[in-house]
Amino acid sequence: MVAGEAIRPDEILKQLSAYWTGLGADQGSSEQSEAEGAGGASHGDGLLRACSMTLICFADEEEDSQALSETLASLMREHPCRMIVIRLQDGEDALAARVSSQCWMPFGHRRQICCEQVEVTASINRLADVASIVAPLAAADLPRVILLRSARIVRAGALRKVLALGDKIIVDSSRPGSPGFGEMGGLLDAGHTTGDLAWTRLTPIRALLAQLLENRNPAAIVIEYAGKEAGPEARYLQAWLQTALPEAFVSLRGNATACPAKRADGQPVVVRVDKDMVVRLCDGGAEYETGAMTQRASMPPGTEEQLLNEELGIVVHDRVFERALNHITA
Amino acid sequence: MRVWNVSLQKHGNTAESATVTVMPVESPLQDPLRFHRKTPPCAVVIFGANGDLTKRKLMPALYRLAYEGRLAPGFAVIGISRTPMSDDDFRARMHDSVSKFLEDSPFDEDLWRSFAQGLFYLPGDVGDSGLYREIVASLAGIEKDHGTEGNVLFYLSTQPSQYAEIAEGLGAAGLAKGSGWRRIIIEKPFGHDLTSARDLNARIQAHFEEEQIYRIDHYLGKETVQNIMAFRFGNGIFEPLWNRRYIDHVQITAAESIGVEGRGAYYQEAGALRDMIQNHLLQVMATIAMEPSATFSSDAVRDERAKLLRSVRILKPEDVAENAVAGQYGPGRVAGRQVPGFRQEPGVNAESNTNTYAAATFLVDNWRWAGVPFYIRTGKYLPKRVSEIAIHFRSAPLSVFRNSEAPGDTMPNLLILRIQPEEGISLKFVSKRPGAGMTLRPVSMDFNYGASFGERSPSAYETLLLDAITGDATLYTRQDMVEASWQAVQPILDYWAAQPFSFPNYAAGTWGPAASDAMLARRGHIWRIP
Repeated sequence: MVAGEAIRPDEILKQLSAYWTGLGADQGSSEQSEAEGAGGASHGDGLLRACSMTLICFADEEEDSQALSETLASLMREHPCRMIVIRLQDGEDALAARVSSQCWMPFGHRRQICCEQVEVTASINRLADVASIVAPLAAADLPRVILLRSARIVRAGALRKVLALGDKIIVDSSRPGSPGFGEMGGLLDAGHTTGDLAWTRLTPIRALLAQLLENRNPAAIVIEYAGKEAGPEARYLQAWLQTALPEAFVSLRGNATACPAKRADGQPVVVRVDKDMVVRLCDGGAEYETGAMTQRASMPPGTEEQLLNEELGIVVHDRVFERALNHITA
Repeated sequence: MRVWNVSLQKHGNTAESATVTVMPVESPLQDPLRFHRKTPPCAVVIFGANGDLTKRKLMPALYRLAYEGRLAPGFAVIGISRTPMSDDDFRARMHDSVSKFLEDSPFDEDLWRSFAQGLFYLPGDVGDSGLYREIVASLAGIEKDHGTEGNVLFYLSTQPSQYAEIAEGLGAAGLAKGSGWRRIIIEKPFGHDLTSARDLNARIQAHFEEEQIYRIDHYLGKETVQNIMAFRFGNGIFEPLWNRRYIDHVQITAAESIGVEGRGAYYQEAGALRDMIQNHLLQVMATIAMEPSATFSSDAVRDERAKLLRSVRILKPEDVAENAVAGQYGPGRVAGRQVPGFRQEPGVNAESNTNTYAAATFLVDNWRWAGVPFYIRTGKYLPKRVSEIAIHFRSAPLSVFRNSEAPGDTMPNLLILRIQPEEGISLKFVSKRPGAGMTLRPVSMDFNYGASFGERSPSAYETLLLDAITGDATLYTRQDMVEASWQAVQPILDYWAAQPFSFPNYAAGTWGPAASDAMLARRGHIWRIP
C-alpha cells in the first residue's frame, strides 16, 4: 500500500512487477515440487499474464466492494486488462494505492491466467491528482476505457476532468446518479467515444426488430413501456427506430400491461408495428406475432458482465448509437 | 458488406471465376458493430434425418443458431428418411437428441416449442420419384406459411452411395432451381478415389451448378483452422518467415485415442488415408501452405487452396514405399484397459488389410516450399487425442552459446497450431535462465483460444451451416480441390492395394509403426510427441 503524498506511478509499476515476479516464483516452486514428485522435468506451464486494454473504473466508496470486484473480475476472461479502480469518497486529502492481481484457472487447464489491478482510494477534491497518477499507469499501445459508476463525479461536475484518461467512456444511464442524456450529448459533441449500457441492453431486441422489419415500410410503430415514465431503454429504442425509419411515426406509450413478465418501470415491453405485428418482450425471450404465426426468440436478460463485455469489444465510434443519442438530445 | 462471386466461364471441371465486390444498400436497421451477419429466410431439407449425424450434430447446431437468434423468422426443416414417422414423432425424437447432445448451451423448452413448429418430416425412399413430388408440395406449403421465399438448402447426410441418386432425384423434380436460391451440402467422402469422385461430380453437376454445391469438410469449420488464416494474413511478422528459407519441415498430426467404436464395417472400407488425409488433413495443409489471397472472398481463398493442392508432388510408384506408411493397430493397453486389435473388432474381417494409421510425406513443388517436407500422420488408438500442426523452423545459423551448459541452445524454434482439444497457438523459443552464466532453456509462449476469448466458440457445424445459408462457400471444398487431393493420395492407394501387409504393426496405445519413424529419419527428422 502506498499512501498520501508518497504515491508515485513508478513505485506502483515497480510493485506490480514485484508482484508478478512473486507469483511466478510461487508457481515455479510448486511446479518444481510437482515435477520432482513425478520424477520428470517441469515444462513451466505456470502463469500467463494477459493484457488487452486498460480499464479505469471510477466508483463511489459506498459501492459494494465485493460485488464490484466480482463484476470486474468476470470481465477478465474476455477482456484481460490492466485494471485501475478508483474509489472516490467525500472529505479531503485522502489518496492511497495498492496493487493486486485477479487470477483464474480455466477449466481443465494447468495454466493460471492473471490480470493486474491497481486500486486507488481518493477524495473527490484530489481528482486532479488521481488523473496524474492514472495516466502513466495505463498500459502502452492498448486502448484505455473508462467505466464510470461514480455519481460523485457527476454531482461534482467533474466529468471532463477524467475524460482525457480514456479512449472511451462507458456509463449506464439507467443507474441512479449517472450522467443524463444532456451530459452524454455534450461528450459526443466534444468528440468522445461513449457507450451506455442502457443502449447495450437493447442489442438483442434491436437485432430481432431489424430482422422482422427488414422488408417492411411501417407507417406506425408504438413502443409500450412499463410504468408511467419512459426509461432510457424505451427512449433509445424509439430514437433508433425513428432515425432508421424516418418515414414511420414512432411513438411511446406508458403503463403497458400486455406482457405477463415483470419488467422494471420505464422499460419497453411491447412493440406494435402497424396493425399486423406485435413483439412482446418478456423476461428470457421475445414472442412475436406476424400474420398468423407466433414465434419465440430466446433473449435472456443480459448480465452486467455480458453488457460490459459487448461494450468493451467496441472501441471505435458507434455511429448507430450516436445517431440515436443525438436524436434524443436534439 | 457482401461479396458476390460472378462465374465467367468454365474450363473442364475447374470454375474460373472473377470476384466482384459490391457495396449493397445498407439496411438502416442494421448495426454491423453489434449484430451478427444477416441470414436470409430458408428451409433446410435433410436427407438421412434419422441418422446419427442429424441427431448429434446438425439438429443441435440448428437449435443453437436459433437460440442465438441467428436464423431468420419462419426457418423450417424437412427431415427425410425411410423410417415411417409423423411430424410430431420427428419433433419428439429431435427434442430428445438436441437436449442430449447440445453442448455448452442451456436447453430452453419455450424456445424449442417455437423452433419445433418449423420441423416437418417426410418418410420415403430416395430412389422413389414420388418422394421428390412430396418434397415439392411440402416446400410450397412451407414457403407460403413460413415466408421462406423459395430458399432451400438440401443437406445430404446419407450413405455416400446415395448422393448422386438424390441429386438426380432433386434435379428431375425441378428442385435444383426455384424462386429463391437452391444449395446442396454433401458430406464427405466425396468419392472413394479419383475416378469415382469425378463420376460423382459429373452426376451432381448435371443438375446443380458448382456454385450451388457445398462439399463439407468440418475440419475447415473449426475455429483454429480459420484462425490459421487470421494468424498468417492478419499479422505482418510471420509471413516473411513462412517459406523454405526459414521453415525446415512441417508436421501435421491428427491422433485419435479411440478405436473404430463399432464402426468397423464402415471403417474397413475407408481406412485412415481416405478417412482423414485425403480430405481433412490435406485441406489443413493447404491452409498452412497456400499463398495469400487477394481478397477474403470465397473463390479467392479457394483458388489459393486449390493452387497449393495442385502443387503437391504426385508420388511415383517407386517412391511410395519411402514416403508413405500404413499401419493397423493390434491389441494393446489404452488408458489403463486392454483393447482388442482392429481385426478383432466387431464387423471387421479377421484378415483385414485396412490401414488404421497412415503417414505420408508430401512435397510442394513451388518456389515457396521447394524441398520442405510436410509430414502428415493420423491414426486410431494412438496415446492421446490431439490434432495439431507443428512448424519446425531452421536452427540459428551459428550457435554462439555452444560452449555453455545449455542443452536448449540448439533447439530450433517451433510454432504449434493446436486444432484440438485445446485450440491455441504456442511458440517455443530459448531464453536465458535468470542468474549468473549463460544457461539457456526452452520456454513456451502460449495463446489459448478458449482462455483468451471467454466467448463460446461455435461448433464447426454451426459455422458451416450458417455459411451455407448465407451463401459463403469459403470453408467448403470445391471440385478442383477434391480432385487435386485425390490425385495426391491416389498413387499411395494404388500401391497399398497391391501390397501384402503384415498387420498389425503397432500396438494400440502407441504412436504408430516403427516404419513411420524411419520415414522421417531418412530426412533427419523425428516425430514430435504432442
